[in-house]
Amino acid sequence: MGLSRREFIKRTAALTAASYVGMNLPFSNEESAHAADADTWHKGTCRLCGSGCRLELGVKNGKAVALRGIPESRTNKGYLCMKGMLFYKLMGDNHPERLKKPLYRAKKDQPFKEISWDEALDIAAKEFAKAVKKYGNDSVAYYGSGQALTEETYIFQKVMRGGLQTNNVEGNPRLCMASAVGGYITSFGADEPIGSYTNFERASCFFIIGSNTAEAHPVLFRRIMRRKLDNKDTVKVINADPRVSPTSRIADLHLQFEPGTDLALLNAMAYVILEERLYDEDFITNYAVFRMGKEKKQVDFNQYKAFVKDYSPEKVAKICGGNITPEKIKKAARWFAKSEGTMSIWTMGINQRKRGVWANNLIHNLHILTGQLCKPGADSFSLTGQPNACGGVREGGGLCHILPAHRLVKKDKLRHEVEKLWGIPEGRIPPKPGYHTVAMFEAVNQGKIKAIWINCTSPAQSLPNCDKYRKGMKREDVFMVVTDIFPTKTTELANLILPTAFIFEKTGVYGCTERRSQLTVKAVDAPGEAKPEVWIVREWALRLAKELNDPVIKKCVEPFLGKEPDYALPKAIWDEYTQKLTKGRDNDLRGATYEVLEQLPDGVQWPAPTKEWALKGGTDIKFVRGLDPLADKHAKNDLPYQFYGPAHPDKKLWIWLRPQKGPEEMPDSEYPFYLSTGRIIDHWHTSSMTGRIVELMRANPYAYVEINPKDAEKLGIKPGDMVEVVSRRGRNVLPAKVYVGPCEGMVFVYWHDQDEERMINRVTKDAFDPGSKEPEFKICACRIKKVSGPKPLKPFLVQMKA
Amino acid sequence: MPIGGFVINVDPKRVEESVESLKGFNGVEIHGTDAKGNIVAVLESSTSEEMDEMVKAIMKIETVYSVGLTYFNAEDEVEKQKAQ
Ligand code: SF4
Repeated sequence: MGLSRREFIKRTAALTAASYVGMNLPFSNEESAHAADADTWHKGTCRLCGSGCRLELGVKNGKAVALRGIPESRTNKGYLCMKGMLFYKLMGDNHPERLKKPLYRAKKDQPFKEISWDEALDIAAKEFAKAVKKYGNDSVAYYGSGQALTEETYIFQKVMRGGLQTNNVEGNPRLCMASAVGGYITSFGADEPIGSYTNFERASCFFIIGSNTAEAHPVLFRRIMRRKLDNKDTVKVINADPRVSPTSRIADLHLQFEPGTDLALLNAMAYVILEERLYDEDFITNYAVFRMGKEKKQVDFNQYKAFVKDYSPEKVAKICGGNITPEKIKKAARWFAKSEGTMSIWTMGINQRKRGVWANNLIHNLHILTGQLCKPGADSFSLTGQPNACGGVREGGGLCHILPAHRLVKKDKLRHEVEKLWGIPEGRIPPKPGYHTVAMFEAVNQGKIKAIWINCTSPAQSLPNCDKYRKGMKREDVFMVVTDIFPTKTTELANLILPTAFIFEKTGVYGCTERRSQLTVKAVDAPGEAKPEVWIVREWALRLAKELNDPVIKKCVEPFLGKEPDYALPKAIWDEYTQKLTKGRDNDLRGATYEVLEQLPDGVQWPAPTKEWALKGGTDIKFVRGLDPLADKHAKNDLPYQFYGPAHPDKKLWIWLRPQKGPEEMPDSEYPFYLSTGRIIDHWHTSSMTGRIVELMRANPYAYVEINPKDAEKLGIKPGDMVEVVSRRGRNVLPAKVYVGPCEGMVFVYWHDQDEERMINRVTKDAFDPGSKEPEFKICACRIKKVSGPKPLKPFLVQMKA
Repeated sequence: MPIGGFVINVDPKRVEESVESLKGFNGVEIHGTDAKGNIVAVLESSTSEEMDEMVKAIMKIETVYSVGLTYFNAEDEVEKQKAQ
């Protein structure tokens, strides 16, 4: 055969792409002499957003060299975006800047020096033990991540709670989806979406609000777009956002409102639904009640009607400003209510708000009123930003008020259940929830926390008003351990840096937005001495047990002793979590064993109490009899839907009376602009990973401030000019992008940049939602001013100083 | 020299026009199109950075809605990086 290896690979590429769309090509690769393009292929999950795309990693001579999507995967149907295509560059020895050795310094103004793992674990154990002995159990804390594997979050929180007897267990999902959790629990009685990604192919109306899906979840957006293009006239897309983004490109209707007025907009849509009798009376009678206030007081339909009367489209159009007219509100409400299946989609624009939970409630209200739930294409679907915020942190007990499998810390019965399952004495887990994120770093500021472990995230850059909290992290009397794969703004403030294994260098599960748990098994070796976190925590806990002379700490890791860390150890942790802790809970994952997960192209959606059910992929739509095994099990009557969620004793959906509330800080004469922040397609979070992929960094080497052309003209700002963005908290200087993106009176800044002058969280505000405790990253007040013409700028990333 | 297999989604009414625009790129091979606006293409470049730039430029074509990657191979680039 005269086919060169290069031709062979090109043909493989063409055949793979063609197979996705059922196209036949005039050639095949079957009789090629070049047996394979890689030695082995390994199934796993992309790590660079919350979509949960499945792919196979091609390994040749021990190195990651190729990627292909998994077409049978229900999460991404095999498609990947550019971040997904390039992230293999961070694996194994592929990247020179990976952290490879434990690093230590006694004082934060000293240089780091390399130490052994033995020394590092001894130091970490001694410092935590010292704090506990001298200042009590609540003087230590763990701050984790929606990017950690479920096994990692689970074992960390087990050692903190059962071992060190503190609920100071938090994580960065507090900054991104805590308001969505609050919304699901208060509206539906159970956390996490009812439906699945399958609704993308079944919906007839998409209501996308506060989400730039095209850039933040590109592969999911592809499915929405395909649905729209294949049904141009019958499928409607509504995009509601103060900023026109690439997501608006496929919208039939763009609702551009002033920041912070969306609660009014959502209530106005409810007004139209009531006024024009577009609601589903049977659905409301069978499944819903109306509630208001802190006391969750039940009210009737008429009281709700009277409440909504205040939000006529005419009045609300004036409140919303932007391009909103009464007609647009009416059109949106009609499309929403009348479509065969309406799917709402949102992310941080709704969650990162002073009234994020209320905004979530008001979206759910529209679905309950119109019966747009549980049927094909109908769903109220919040997208998560991180690959394992749902699976690891929401379900695995990664926040200060929750224990594994959706149990509340404050409920005695549930706490004691967990103690019993762990085989530790009753009363070991304290009854009081720990510090939520902002309170935790406030406690660091005040010197109340003496030792903190930060895993797989960079709060020094990602906290709002971050200068305030960096002061605390700099304190010499606060001992800080950071586990990560690259240097970050947070490793700069650490005493001890521990290098960890990246995805595909270790084994474990990620659970994505649609309740689906997906396994990635180790395929390549981690570089240098980098280790999987599960090994680090086990070894640390054994030392802690000695230092504190406390056998219960050892008991917490006893089931995991002697297991090799690459597969057997995470498997044992997963088994304990799923078989014991999720048994009988709404996220029952007993069927989703490693053995089952390894057989599937993707993974399992809970509830999945048995292996047979799990092998089918689990539960596509919750609460529907015949589709959800728990809906049958908990059925109270003959109705087709059974809302058995643990948080609503009446087993009803709750429609909430929630008034319009603006942001904590409004523009005024001194700070006349709204400032909002967000992402750009190439970068993710603090760019500690995407910034190190040359292709992505060159495409977007630094952050910009986006300014509406009308404002730019008034202020004499031209594209590329250097612009100062100042708030009551801090200042940035960034190049201007003059662009009809943000509405007039609003500026928008990307938040990934690590350069001190362009790190926008120095400017944002740390006000937070009183219910979810999620900060209001999305809105604060600022002023802007041109400081100079265009200047050559350099990209910046924190480097490890030797 | 990375090689990628892509499904490019374009406006179904403007497939031919899109193919013409794509032919203007060096390193793009078109393997087929269909009535739904799917174009099967193989992209070849000298570095993955160049590939990223190509994808960005393709996304800017007015008729293109999305560029979906299905397969990517960069074995010689990884070997080269390893050797350095
Ligand atoms: S959409 Fe997200 S999960 Fe999918 S390939 Fe891109 S970055 Fe990875």
